[in-house]
Amino acid sequence: MKPSQDRALCAMQNGMLCLVSILVRAGQRAEWRREWRSELWHVRRSLSEDGRLSWAAQREIAAFCLGSLQDASCLRRECRPSPQPRISGAAGQCLLRLSTVLAVCFVVASLLPGVDAERDPARFQVKPGVIFIQKFSSPDSFGPSISPALFRDWKNTRQRYFDEFAFYRTLHEKAVLPARRATDWTVTHASLNLFAMLGLQLPFDPAPSSESDELPPVILSHDSWRRDFAYAPDVTGRIIHIGNRIGRIAGVMPYGIWRLPDSPDAWFLERDSQLTHPSVDARGYLVAHLSRVGQAWMTGTSVPISVRGDTDDDDVEFYGVSFAGRLRGPWGMFEFALILSLLALPAVTSVTLGESNYSSHRPSRKRTLLRWAFLAAKFFLIAAIAYFASLDLAWWNSSNYSPLAEFSQLAWAFTICLFGFRWALADQRQRCPVCLRRVTHPAQVGLASRTFLGWNGTEMICMGGHTLLHVPSLPTSWFGGQRWLYLDTSWEFLFADSGAW
Amino acid sequence: MAAEAKLSHTAAMILQAISAGYVYGFSIMEMTGLPSGTVYPAMRRLERDDLIRSQWEKQSIADSEQRPPRKYYRLTASGKTTLEASRKRYPLLERLISSQEANSL
Repeated sequence: MKPSQDRALCAMQNGMLCLVSILVRAGQRAEWRREWRSELWHVRRSLSEDGRLSWAAQREIAAFCLGSLQDASCLRRECRPSPQPRISGAAGQCLLRLSTVLAVCFVVASLLPGVDAERDPARFQVKPGVIFIQKFSSPDSFGPSISPALFRDWKNTRQRYFDEFAFYRTLHEKAVLPARRATDWTVTHASLNLFAMLGLQLPFDPAPSSESDELPPVILSHDSWRRDFAYAPDVTGRIIHIGNRIGRIAGVMPYGIWRLPDSPDAWFLERDSQLTHPSVDARGYLVAHLSRVGQAWMTGTSVPISVRGDTDDDDVEFYGVSFAGRLRGPWGMFEFALILSLLALPAVTSVTLGESNYSSHRPSRKRTLLRWAFLAAKFFLIAAIAYFASLDLAWWNSSNYSPLAEFSQLAWAFTICLFGFRWALADQRQRCPVCLRRVTHPAQVGLASRTFLGWNGTEMICMGGHTLLHVPSLPTSWFGGQRWLYLDTSWEFLFADSGAW
Repeated sequence: MAAEAKLSHTAAMILQAISAGYVYGFSIMEMTGLPSGTVYPAMRRLERDDLIRSQWEKQSIADSEQRPPRKYYRLTASGKTTLEASRKRYPLLERLISSQEANSL
């Protein structure tokens, strides 16, 4: 072998040792490298003949250098800190998992615009004293039942119980957008005073700017603004054709404000003379503001209204519904679901925790308090998860208010609370009263055929060595429920991890 | 002793080699025929278990011989005890590596 080749190979061997030394921990690296370099020097010297190395000798040296990789890997493995024993079923882990689920539900809720609109009831609150009037004979409690003629008659007649009326009805119409694009819209034709009477906080004035302004104002829904105008910022003031009418866009309805029946793409505000023009078959919704006398009469959330005709047969029955029940927001719905689930809980599980035990030993007061605090924390986290998860599930695809979404929220909140609380109690029953860790390693004890000779059931042990839990397979008069058997301190040396949390 | 029972044949061979006077890594490799990837990690484990102890040669000695200093290994008291127990477990150990060979090197 030529000296130049030998020098190159020597450099490669030293370079390899340097590279491999990266595997070794920094504190040991210098010494490791020094030893291997020294050994390499002696290996080279012992294999050289007259100061020269053959190819066979170089192969041996290469094999020697490759051994450094194993040595460095071995040293690295030994320096690695030994993994801590895995504590499964610890109370802290349980709370951490519930908190993680809660955080995920909260983040999803904050990302959904429907939920965001729901969580701020102040945005969609209407003025007090505003009621929704429906015909008593109407088959659908939220369907249109009032004719424009009736609205006109009531508005033009002096009223004792009402001081203001507004009317709206919803139609499917062809809308021609500014880019000459025609689309089918659901349009609500409403009185000019509808929004002012409801007291909704709109960021623009929906009324026409002056009496001379002949074009009626049009308010776009948030969805139609997104879908048909691509969030155009200069949409206000544009002329729009709806059906055979022309209107001027006055603004965009903020998200989630409209809570009345129907979810239109646009609101077309008209003078009463135009609104009451259509055929006798047209039906819509009547909104009224109670006078002082009317408010004194309205004690509950609804009130019957009867209008006398010339004869008894001509009498028409109506009822007025307050918006208060309709606009209570998601928190009120959740409270109702929470109470319902707490009432229903004893029907799906036993609410006791199986406190009986064989021995006279009792956990300290601090441990008992911690145990109850842990249960309370689980209940709290489950309730919070139920609140946000029910909002997510009910409103994930709803942009506008709908009774179905509200009912869906109620159903989800009830279900999650009920089964969540059931799980919390079942989980608590299987947690060691001393360290709050779940008992494990179930073992079958006894035989069912010998129930009267000795108990049969499942025995589980706390991995901290504090307790044994005996759960009978067949409850008897002398062994009805689960029992805790407290172990004395002589057991502790058998268990490596007696820590609690 | 529990430590004695756990000693593998390889580790016992290395202990025997050190005891026989092969006191640095490469000489142990040559004597036992084990590759470097086995000998050096085994020596680290033996040192960790306090069966052998290492010591760097004095720089002055290495300088006088114009070579880098070597790291020498020697048995500790517990290493000697363990080796005695291992000899009983592996009776051929002494025949495989005898002190005379080392001295003759």
